[in-house]
Amino acid sequence: MVSVSAHTLTLVSPPDDVDTVHALLETVWADAAHVSPRDRFSFETALIELASNVLCHGNTGSGVTCALRLEVSAVSIDARLSDTGGTVVELLAASADPASDGAVDSREMPDALSESGRGIALIQALVDELEYTRDGDVNRWHIVRTLRS
Amino acid sequence: MQFTVTDQGDGIAVVHIMGRLNMVTAPRLREVVAASVAAGQNRVAVDLSDVDFIDSSGLGALIGGLKVTRQAGGDLRIAAPNEQVRLVLQLTNMERVLTAYPAASSAFHG
Repeated sequence: MVSVSAHTLTLVSPPDDVDTVHALLETVWADAAHVSPRDRFSFETALIELASNVLCHGNTGSGVTCALRLEVSAVSIDARLSDTGGTVVELLAASADPASDGAVDSREMPDALSESGRGIALIQALVDELEYTRDGDVNRWHIVRTLRS
Repeated sequence: MQFTVTDQGDGIAVVHIMGRLNMVTAPRLREVVAASVAAGQNRVAVDLSDVDFIDSSGLGALIGGLKVTRQAGGDLRIAAPNEQVRLVLQLTNMERVLTAYPAASSAFHG
């Protein structure tokens, strides 16, 4: 019987960056033998993309503070990230996303030789749920990957 | 993260990367490829055998390197990606643009 394990992290950028998230995931995987390598690196890629977007493009000049909560159960991996960065419209515009209209549920890959704009579309391809809400001055992100094996 | 550049002669450089290729390290890859092209090595083989993680920033740096080398009449090829890197290439439809070769040393030979 696999019990639910929860992990939390507060990121303050600068100086924290995505390597801080990688370090947390190392400790998460050490406690989650039932999660396959493919599920691990798929979820890790999605979460790092999300954290990169928030830490890099969400910084409108005064830094970004993020609260991350991860839950690993027998059937899924779930991450909730809230941040004090710019709105998702500002974030997508800053990341040169090809359709910066603020919608996060139907992103498409940019042209093959584009050097940016793939982050949100890549997250969508790797998780089963991607939700975004703006709550006052805070962005709330939620991603869930159902375990495949 | 560590970058090692080896001159293979014939205008070919092998860039070996160790660690993660993400938003922290991608700018360094862009610098390394630009320096190789400036030094006359416009055929760059990027050895990914010791890269354990890539994100879209790292992918963007590889595409940037591809453009810089091609503008100089050369090319950029990748070699020995792990399963995570192959998944990112597949999901972003970049497998045909950045074809993976088995080994960096032979990416421009044979």
